[in-house]
Amino acid sequence: MVEMISEFLASPVMGEALLPALLIGLLTASMSVMVMAHRLSFLTVGVSHASLAGLGLAVTFSLPLLPTATVFAVLIALLLALMPRKKGISEDAGTGILFAGSMALGVLLISTANSSEVDLFGLLFGNILTMSPIDLRWLYLMSALIPVIFFLSARAWWSIAFDAVTAEASGLPVSALRLLLYGLVGLTVILCVKLAGIVLTAGLMLLPAACAWFWGRSLFSLWILSVLFSLTGTLAGLFWSYIYEWPSGATVVLALCALFVMSWVLNWVKIWVSAYKV
Amino acid sequence: MTTPIVQISHLSFGPLNKPILDGINLKLEAGHFLGIVGPNGAGKSTLLNIVAGLTPPAGGHIDLFGRCLTRFSRHKLLRQIGFLHQLHDHAPRLPMRVRDVVAMGLADYTAPWRRSHHQSDIDDALNLVDMDHLADADFRHLSGGQRQRARLARALVRKPKLLLLDEPSAALDSVRQEKLFQLLRRLCDETGMSVIMVEHDIAAISSHVDSVACLNRRIHHHAMKGEDIPEDVWRAMYGDHIHIMAHDAHCIGCAPSEDEHGHHHG
Repeated sequence: MVEMISEFLASPVMGEALLPALLIGLLTASMSVMVMAHRLSFLTVGVSHASLAGLGLAVTFSLPLLPTATVFAVLIALLLALMPRKKGISEDAGTGILFAGSMALGVLLISTANSSEVDLFGLLFGNILTMSPIDLRWLYLMSALIPVIFFLSARAWWSIAFDAVTAEASGLPVSALRLLLYGLVGLTVILCVKLAGIVLTAGLMLLPAACAWFWGRSLFSLWILSVLFSLTGTLAGLFWSYIYEWPSGATVVLALCALFVMSWVLNWVKIWVSAYKV
Repeated sequence: MTTPIVQISHLSFGPLNKPILDGINLKLEAGHFLGIVGPNGAGKSTLLNIVAGLTPPAGGHIDLFGRCLTRFSRHKLLRQIGFLHQLHDHAPRLPMRVRDVVAMGLADYTAPWRRSHHQSDIDDALNLVDMDHLADADFRHLSGGQRQRARLARALVRKPKLLLLDEPSAALDSVRQEKLFQLLRRLCDETGMSVIMVEHDIAAISSHVDSVACLNRRIHHHAMKGEDIPEDVWRAMYGDHIHIMAHDAHCIGCAPSEDEHGHHHG
């Protein structure tokens, strides 16, 4: 086992993939706390799928993949944030429509373009090893930017998730903060697409905080636990994907799922024990 | 002359042909405790939301602390207001201790760098609502009444100049309700805080408030303490099929009668 781990760490492939994957793990862990608190899991599904249209546009017009997809995803996220909630269409219906529409557009664009360049399977299910130097620089930039915004806004977002009306009445610019949150979720989702692909990204954006939800008692402890779960899942996933040559994105998501199930069972046991302990 | 805490003039809300609020004038001095009563759909919550800066009015003018409430001034003005809105089946999902819920009411809560030096304020606020023994309890595991008291502590922790309460006694039993009104009375007298409280049960509040405004689309009557509200005001507000009973100031809450509907105590 120890040999396998040292071999894993020494391998040049993993040396390249480890840092980006851990950075992504850190970013998604932070954002997933807010995704859980604001019930945005469907937004992450919608935005990640909608990014296929962005990728399709990039392929058609020979634009850089990641930045184009990012701009597109953030626009979609902001559009969803601005969608009127009370009148008109509910948020989940709006997300569903945008999700299906842009996915269809993406498929159309990619199939008509010279598709020999596009690794569709890689887009759908992710491959951390296909990050280009531009992608990497973009990831490093975002890894510096997103935590700063998160740190500055976390409590405001938390307070809005707890009670938006009171937050508004206490003078917080709720709509602007919500817009910022949606935009940031959009940004983070696109970074995950490289690791986990369009289909599996929602797993990364949700599972770390979902695991932490069983144990955390405050915003801070939730965040810490979420980061720990995320990094553990990412490391374990990469390790297994290396040892057994499994696809990296799927393995990481499965590792996180395993952590979730373990948390769930342990929490259940804890409740059970405390109920029978007189 | 001192600046009024709230001055509302010619306030209206809703479509012109069917206004929800119409021609509202109201003035509130520091330390004044105002109760607003009226039937369902009278616009009580709407009026409170407008004062809390959540809903822009269709017409009229609002001054808070001597400054006009506009889209631009609202973020600053609202920092001096505590607001407790009416709950609609609000099941808390976020893991938080009661202490953290109260901390959210602090004016600088969202600033990431300030911490912990407000602990005594939080303890004081919890103490006011008799929740100090539950400071570290999980907010999700509290009863409805305990949550309501924690929320009230959250509204009080910033020591607001103006407290807006929308049916704060809804989740409380009659003893807690009475305690709440006594607390509000004491805060008005001792700290000069002003309170606007929407309640449906005038009997429960009349011995604590300084004045009562009867609202149904417009303010039908603004009675000062000890003054009786004329019967025709009740009829104008609630319609003709209302049974008016006399009560004295010592009536605490009201024992639930067989037929509660249509009984109003004036």
